[in-house]
Amino acid sequence: MTVEVDTKNLIIHIAEIMINELKLEDVTPETFDPEIDLVDEVGIDSMDLATVALVIQDEYGIRIDEDDYPKLITIRLIADYVEKRLKK
Amino acid sequence: MALPRKKHENDNQDQSENRWKFSDLVEDPQIGDRWEKVRKYFFLRESTYDMTNRCNIRCEGCYYYVGEKQFAGENRDPEAWRRLMQGEKSRGITYVVLAGAEPSLVPELCEVCYQEIPLGAIASNGIKRIPRSIDYKIHISVWGNDETSFKVRSAKNMLLKQIDNYKGDPRAVFVYTFTRENIDEIYEVMDVLAEHECRITFNMFSAPVGYEGPLRHTEESLMHTRKAIMKLISSHSENVLFSPYNVVAHTHSHGLHDLFTCSYPRMNPSTDIGLGRSFRQYRTDLTWDRDVACCVPDTDCHDCRHYAAGSAVVTARLFRHATDPDTFKSWLDYVDTYLAVWVMGYEKGKNLCDYPVAPPGHDIF
Repeated sequence: MTVEVDTKNLIIHIAEIMINELKLEDVTPETFDPEIDLVDEVGIDSMDLATVALVIQDEYGIRIDEDDYPKLITIRLIADYVEKRLKK
Repeated sequence: MALPRKKHENDNQDQSENRWKFSDLVEDPQIGDRWEKVRKYFFLRESTYDMTNRCNIRCEGCYYYVGEKQFAGENRDPEAWRRLMQGEKSRGITYVVLAGAEPSLVPELCEVCYQEIPLGAIASNGIKRIPRSIDYKIHISVWGNDETSFKVRSAKNMLLKQIDNYKGDPRAVFVYTFTRENIDEIYEVMDVLAEHECRITFNMFSAPVGYEGPLRHTEESLMHTRKAIMKLISSHSENVLFSPYNVVAHTHSHGLHDLFTCSYPRMNPSTDIGLGRSFRQYRTDLTWDRDVACCVPDTDCHDCRHYAAGSAVVTARLFRHATDPDTFKSWLDYVDTYLAVWVMGYEKGKNLCDYPVAPPGHDIF
């Protein structure tokens, strides 16, 4: 079974998770640049990224591999990953 | 004597099969509260610094006087150290560990570090008191009773000197290093420390590269140590900073790298994120080398069960421990212990899981 995914909404929802989980300020889900480097430019570290990965797994009912989440360093990359997993 | 433990539903199985939802795990009030308590400290990013190449004692199996780092020249200029710390702060370091050889011999340099980065710890033999103005945690190394200390460290009345210097000091954590030869001495040392209301955590002797001497652990000595620590967790819970999962992680037949995949640069080529990206181990001349950078350089990585290594390596593995309540509680206990040992003002809670649980993907011991 394949699942239709609205990429724009997916990006906004992931941004929302990011903002809520990491208590980010001065940004909204709509204004969060999906290309921004979360590590270099937002200052997110491995524990934050692991936390977000756990929440995204729950939210979308997908499995994220432990080796994969450290590479998901932009919202766009996370969205692409979720999309691929949902379509599997 | 077999250790008490409950059968874990994921033992020897692919953990993805029975994985719980994270939101269900943290919905348990006990787990949720502890998760919120520890996650406030996820901002800690450490590096370590050798402060001087001098020490006031010589210990068998000392990590400092092995390898190249011992030959680095000393930089004793406080302003050079201040500039180093300012640079560290600007690249995101929020926590410093001041180590080799004996930082208490250079209090003026420790003071500068504290002024620039106020969170940290100092590894000391405890013979010379570090001024109270330096409000870092102080880890005082204990390697057995006084008879053994005299034999291994050539220092008389070591424990009494250490207690005299640090009794009642909220910075102090006594770190008892179990070697193959001093396991049963812990009971008398524990009684003395408890009598003086001192707090203690445990370290496992981890052989320096090339060391094959009598302190190196065997499977039998690991098991013996495991039983001793489990007894002390029960009998001295007010004084002991340790959890059953610490016991599993540090007395397992596999070392920390084999169990959890060490994330320090020396064993981790990735510079993308985490310790592989930010950790540096500075020598006394303020240089560093990524190829040898880890918390206790010149340890034989496959024998590494060092408490400092576990504090980073086990803690970093949040993702793989969020599988089921017992495993996640055990990880939370480990992180709670780590923070109580390393961060001023952090108080350890009661262990959430009071029996040993297998590390993800491995048998229990």
